[in-house]
Amino acid sequence: MSKIGVFVCHCGENISATVDCAKVAETAGKYDGVTFSVDYKYMCSDPGQTLIKNAIAEKGLTGVVVAACSPRMHEPTFRKACAEAGLNPYMCEMANLREHCSWVHEKGDPTTDKAIDLVRVLVEKVKYNQSLNAIKVPVTKTALVIGGGIAGIQASLDIANTGHKVILIEKDPSIGGHMSQLSETFPTLDCSQCILTPRMVEVAQHPNITLYTYAELESLEGFIGNFKAKIRRKSKSLDEKLCTGCGLCTTKCPSKKIPSEFNEGLGMRTAIYVPFPQAVPNKPVIDRKNCTYYTKGKCRICEKVCPTGAIRFDQEDQIVEVEVGAIVLATGFTIKQTDFFPEYGYGKHPDIITGLQFERLASASGPTLGEIRRPSDGKVPQTIVFLSCAGSRDEAKGIPYCSKICCMYIAKHAMLYQHKVHGGKSYVFYMDIRAGGKMYEEFVRRAIEDDGVNYVRGRVSRIYEKNGKLIVKGADTLLGAMPVEIEADMVVLATAGVANEGAEELAQKLHVSYDPYHFFAEAHPKLKPVETNTAGIFLAGACQAPRDIPESVSMASGAAVKVAGLFSQDELTREPLIAVVNRQPAPVYSSCVGCFLCVSACPYQAIEKEEIKDRSGAVIKRVAKVNPGLCQGCGTCVAFCRTKSIDIQGYTHEQMYSEVMALLNEY
Amino acid sequence: MADFEPRIVAFVCNWCTYAGADLTGTSRIKYASNVRIVRFPCTGRIDYMLLLKAFDEGADGIIVSGCHPNDCHYTSGNFHARRRWIMFRSLCDFLGIDIRRIKFSWVSAAEGAKWADIVNSTVSSIRELGPYEEYRKIVKRPAKEVTNG
Amino acid sequence: MDELRKKAGELLEASAVKVIIGYENGSDGKTRALFAEKPEETARLVFDSRCVMNLATYVTKKEVRNKGRIGLVATLPVMRAVIQLASEHQVDDAGLLVIGITPESKMVEFKDLAEVEAFVHRYQIEIDSKQKEMLDKLEKMTPSERWDFWIRELTPCFKCYACRAACPMCYCHRCTVDFNQPQWVPVPSHELGNIEWHIMRAIHLAGRCVDCDACYNACPLAIPLNLLTKRMLLDAKEHLGGYQPSIKADHLMSTYKPDDKDNFII
Repeated sequence: MSKIGVFVCHCGENISATVDCAKVAETAGKYDGVTFSVDYKYMCSDPGQTLIKNAIAEKGLTGVVVAACSPRMHEPTFRKACAEAGLNPYMCEMANLREHCSWVHEKGDPTTDKAIDLVRVLVEKVKYNQSLNAIKVPVTKTALVIGGGIAGIQASLDIANTGHKVILIEKDPSIGGHMSQLSETFPTLDCSQCILTPRMVEVAQHPNITLYTYAELESLEGFIGNFKAKIRRKSKSLDEKLCTGCGLCTTKCPSKKIPSEFNEGLGMRTAIYVPFPQAVPNKPVIDRKNCTYYTKGKCRICEKVCPTGAIRFDQEDQIVEVEVGAIVLATGFTIKQTDFFPEYGYGKHPDIITGLQFERLASASGPTLGEIRRPSDGKVPQTIVFLSCAGSRDEAKGIPYCSKICCMYIAKHAMLYQHKVHGGKSYVFYMDIRAGGKMYEEFVRRAIEDDGVNYVRGRVSRIYEKNGKLIVKGADTLLGAMPVEIEADMVVLATAGVANEGAEELAQKLHVSYDPYHFFAEAHPKLKPVETNTAGIFLAGACQAPRDIPESVSMASGAAVKVAGLFSQDELTREPLIAVVNRQPAPVYSSCVGCFLCVSACPYQAIEKEEIKDRSGAVIKRVAKVNPGLCQGCGTCVAFCRTKSIDIQGYTHEQMYSEVMALLNEY
Repeated sequence: MADFEPRIVAFVCNWCTYAGADLTGTSRIKYASNVRIVRFPCTGRIDYMLLLKAFDEGADGIIVSGCHPNDCHYTSGNFHARRRWIMFRSLCDFLGIDIRRIKFSWVSAAEGAKWADIVNSTVSSIRELGPYEEYRKIVKRPAKEVTNG
Repeated sequence: MDELRKKAGELLEASAVKVIIGYENGSDGKTRALFAEKPEETARLVFDSRCVMNLATYVTKKEVRNKGRIGLVATLPVMRAVIQLASEHQVDDAGLLVIGITPESKMVEFKDLAEVEAFVHRYQIEIDSKQKEMLDKLEKMTPSERWDFWIRELTPCFKCYACRAACPMCYCHRCTVDFNQPQWVPVPSHELGNIEWHIMRAIHLAGRCVDCDACYNACPLAIPLNLLTKRMLLDAKEHLGGYQPSIKADHLMSTYKPDDKDNFII
């Protein structure tokens, strides 16, 4: 027999102004199974909580209903109070008399009647509540960071510096990401590589970091604290232990006409290559698609010239299996190429380039050694036009969002151009200038006021070539949409930042959600920006949305703290409000018939197949089993199961049934 | 019929509509007191059998409400729920159950005013429809005495 | 027919299967299920238009499975049921061999269930025109008229559960109607208990019903309860793109599309 205590709170006058609290308590006191009922001015105050605790101790209560504010407000408070008095916290329920009753209805009998109903319903529910214990899961204190750009580097270093192991994987031959391609960075104009490369070296040398470059995630299973990842280490055709990174092979390789990814196609590289001089690790890989030996079966020059005999043509991809407790996704973004824009010539004109290509032109380590020269003929452009929002904020192009970084880098580009080409003329076509950020607006003003960049508010409708010039046709909307035509030598498109190709597949592998643009989705846009909906997987940098460097770094540090927090415990404690498949004595074992339709209904892949075996090991029955580490407690499977073999703790069939049956029982 | 007060049961998810109804409260928006809310973790948890039970127990109208598409706290519970609603609603209609008495809605945690509107409009439309006598007839329950105690 | 008997005999002879489930002559000019375990028993196999019972209902029964691999004489709806059962992990190639009978009453052999599936997919699930007529008629009624129709039809039901026993998809060991903690469906066979039972049955068959009419054929009161599942078949087609039993594909009701019909939600 239940011994339930009902505690009706006045909440000062918040509840008692419209609800007759004494009557609620009095009525509740008459219900079957209620042995104690009282109303009090402030139940959440110390004396109020003491009232509850004493009643539990003195009356030996088996269940508690606190009729007060929303459980979303104070459920943890009262559950904790119950636990302190020795009652299992999950034997406590709250009736929402404030938000759902007293605040929304006028004073009167119907309102008090409703309050009485709300209490009765929870009294009936609490009769079926069960003592639950928090779930403990062990934690593997190693993190997997996917992506070796600035976000991944920062996250790896931050986690490693808290004393935990990190495995960092990067799909390219070197870490560094887009930041390593940049010339200078806004708003300080310090050299990107100068601030990045020390970090890259730190990663390589950190005792807690294992770095796998040229590696990708093959598959992932498990759950928070207990992931098992398979990593594909793509063959570099190289014995990395023997290679000293002398670079002789790259100078002798005869395939020299391969567009360099690092230089955004503005420079060439060899088939065996190190992407850039400061690469980490500074050891080459063979690009098998372009290597003469792999394509034609002849060459092997690199093998001949290698002083240490490190080349391995027959090396195969290697699958490494690792166990990790948390994952940081820092796979970054990519940009639309110029061929995305029919109005700007489909990318056919060599002197219409992307912002990232301009970075390479402006970079001292770039193909022009930092001189701004046009790709077509190497001439220094005397007139240059920058176009912001190339694709971004354009519903028609399927990219309605703002790419965020372009306004700032365009100002930087224009500034760099003015610094490098004295007497040159630069124009920026913009829709709005979005320069929110510390020192950002000042930076843009500097470009306009000190460096004389011409900002034109308007969009460019067309670019075409005429007499060796690029004719840029646009309109100046600040001058009443007056047509503007500029004869330019070079045009830079600030093309939209978009999700990486394959982001969707990766998200599906990891079971994290993603937005319509395939950027990974955060768990909450404001309060959980680095978490995903999948516990134990965090986000850093531009894989979540276009981000600039300081934001990527902050996110990475944020994600690292989340990981470190997770790793600060040996066991994870989770709310036990999860689904459970029933188990019964032999010969039934479970009412589950093993149709496993729940498996595809579960949003978390938390349902597994369990084989029930006899002593000889023969399978008697296959039934569903919920993995308590993965289950988040939505109950989608519960309502779906035909045999009602799955139940969800805290919202069981019996609890919900009795709630509904008690709702209207005055009828 | 003037003194008929409809009994409405609302099945709502914890993360959106329940929180939205909390916001109605914190915003002090007044609405009809005929509704009784039952809290579920997610619309995906709401068992169609429970809706039938509400009618069994004398509900004149039912509201089922959860997170808008793509807003589900559990990613897709509401999508699964919506599929079930499509089938359940159509079956009810085919059986002649008055589906005007079952309202489905999406109310987010920010839509406190919408929640009040939905309750009010449901109450007034059910008031027009009158008590659910047809269903009540098959329940054939003798009028219960209030037996609290 | 001879071909069927010969094939069934050979399978038993070669021990490729341990039992053949087919039809034989029963009493009152009806047919009943035959469980042939010896080659000579296959001489009793018959097949004609009287064979409407869905034999797939036996393949999930423990008593039958314990005999060993089953050879099942299967018409199109039976094959559909088998594929649906395979998708629900209830049967597999190791336990079941299908001897198909085409809608033209020709015997067709299958190597495995994948071939059965390919065969099944050559036909759409089409609702019989007479039944469609009935559905349309009900559709045209007012809700109150429909309600009266169903109450009238369902009132005589005394919950013998012949419909459940005849349905190949009702293979659960514990049916929710038998569940008493809580008692979801009232035990008595009054209108409420009856209507709730039939709603539950129909919902459980949503996206799974193979349209074999076994439930209707089994009902001693000839209640048109198959109209409920047929209505759901039409709904599945109209609103969710329809379905075909398939071993690997996800189930209609355990998946969703982000753009599923939304117009009834405010």
